[in-house]
Amino acid sequence: MIRLNRRHFLMGAAAGGVFALPPARRLAAQTETITVTSYGGVWEEAIRGIFVADFTARTGGKAEVQIGGPPQWMSQIEANLADPPIDVLVNTIDLALVAGRTGLVEKIDPSKLSNLADIPQRFVDVVEGWGVVFDYGSAGIAYHRERLRNPPTSIKGMVEGALRGDFVLSLPGISYAPTPQMLIWSFADALGGSVNNVDPAFEALKALQDKRAVIFYGGATEFLNHLEAGEAEIGIYWDGRTWAHYSTGAEWIGYINPDEGGVMNPVVVQKVVNSDDSAWEYINSMLAPAPQLAFAEKVQYGVTNTKVAYPDWLKDRITPWEATRWPPFEEIGAKIPAWVDRWNREIGA
Amino acid sequence: MPSLLFLAAFFIAPLFVILEMSFQEGRLPVEGAGVFQNYQRLFADTFYLGVIAETVGLSVVVTLVSVLMGYPVAYFMVRHASGRSYDLIVFLLIAPLLTSIIMRTFGWQVLLARRGLINEALMMLNLIERPLGLLNSPLAIVVGLVHVLVPFMVLSIASVLQGIDRRLEESARILGAGKLQTFLRVTFPLSIDGVGTGAILVFMLANGSFVTLLLLGGGTLQTLPLLIYQQFNTTRDFPFAATMSNALLVLAVCCLYAQLRLIRRRGV
Repeated sequence: MIRLNRRHFLMGAAAGGVFALPPARRLAAQTETITVTSYGGVWEEAIRGIFVADFTARTGGKAEVQIGGPPQWMSQIEANLADPPIDVLVNTIDLALVAGRTGLVEKIDPSKLSNLADIPQRFVDVVEGWGVVFDYGSAGIAYHRERLRNPPTSIKGMVEGALRGDFVLSLPGISYAPTPQMLIWSFADALGGSVNNVDPAFEALKALQDKRAVIFYGGATEFLNHLEAGEAEIGIYWDGRTWAHYSTGAEWIGYINPDEGGVMNPVVVQKVVNSDDSAWEYINSMLAPAPQLAFAEKVQYGVTNTKVAYPDWLKDRITPWEATRWPPFEEIGAKIPAWVDRWNREIGA
Repeated sequence: MPSLLFLAAFFIAPLFVILEMSFQEGRLPVEGAGVFQNYQRLFADTFYLGVIAETVGLSVVVTLVSVLMGYPVAYFMVRHASGRSYDLIVFLLIAPLLTSIIMRTFGWQVLLARRGLINEALMMLNLIERPLGLLNSPLAIVVGLVHVLVPFMVLSIASVLQGIDRRLEESARILGAGKLQTFLRVTFPLSIDGVGTGAILVFMLANGSFVTLLLLGGGTLQTLPLLIYQQFNTTRDFPFAATMSNALLVLAVCCLYAQLRLIRRRGV
């Protein structure tokens, strides 16, 4: 008679466990660590704490977060397309289109993204299917409420006020990546020009510069420094960043969506070509209503899932995407080198 | 051998990659210019020649100011400071290097702003009626760069000054030379090696800097590093960025060569 002792039981259980396990490759696939991307600061906290956490909870997969910016990430992918070091790319709209055209990313596959059904089609079309917009900002007028009691409510009024000497503007400089859309096109559009005629924008900037009524910022936080240090009183800035700063206790800052409309700045998520298939699941987490709401509450930017219902405190701070001005991103992308060259010659780097 | 391989893989090979990239078509191609289109765009356009001149000009000014500010400090350290105060000066020189250049530059933004400490103080003393436009100017750039780079100059000069045989200066004094004459004809020529080393360091670092220009310049000065950053960040025109990088490298090597020649011609 065979007596079953504790050792036998443990060995048997271990053997049974081994046979019950899925094949090794499947196991490896389930525990595959993917690499996703994020900007720094509050973005990083939100990506790690919300999207990565949701992805891990749902799939058991792991995701490493790489901090940086789209130009750097795209260069890394380009350097090793066969085995890219990044699986999921967060991108600006102009570079997202470049990434699609140069074969760095895959077209969105609706069959692998169950949450895509709740995202308005425009957020896929704007990037020609080379990804999907999961979050957006609006570039409007931000100002120092204590130093400027009656701020202008339009871009035209803001330019005229600065030219009169009422205040100094802080505007994004040409080294800041979104400037072609949020400033050059926006000013042209507001002052009677278009994507094919940006003369009104450059003429206004030159006039402001001649009157010493404008300074330029090269990074997002620099705008806040300009206002806080008294270098400027008002300027073009993001709604989300303004409200996020307000929430830290800086109640002197205010935000207005200009009469012409704030400028839409979509943030795109893309699956890198030849990346792991679990990247789709991570993107699905980024499109899901609950993580999107948590993300919106954290960064105070609008999100794209129609099932998201913002709480009252946040509702007034989010610019509805239907109320924003959508720049012709594709056409602007082609004109950026010429605009940058013109800026350097007429305004300064 | 391993260090040679390391150098070849991570220094020499990338230079060839950048060289090759500079011959590719940029995003604003010059018609009919062939593989040299980016070089033609850079060297046949007075705007870009002006940018090159501003790059060199800024580095020269920062180097000269660093010599003028750094030499007296180095001289005082070596000749007049006691052991403890010598250590204190070295600490004060090195301490700022331990903090981020961005933090130090932000500090200057706060000081030079329209409502910053300097303008507020000048207005409080009734020396000015309106705030001066100190920030976003070439002056702010030079101040920011000198602040960052002057420790390299001081330490280079001080190390050479320390090695000078004091008996040579004493001999000059005994033979009738005054203090100034002794300094100009004995001490300074003997310390020129330190000035040269410091000048090369400061010049090279100023030549490649862009954070300070970005934060304090406000577009008032345009240099090659700023435009290279722009091509990478805004236009993604890598071939033109590679061309400017090569131009900057050649420029730096030429200036280095000229400085070395100048130092050697003085017989040191």
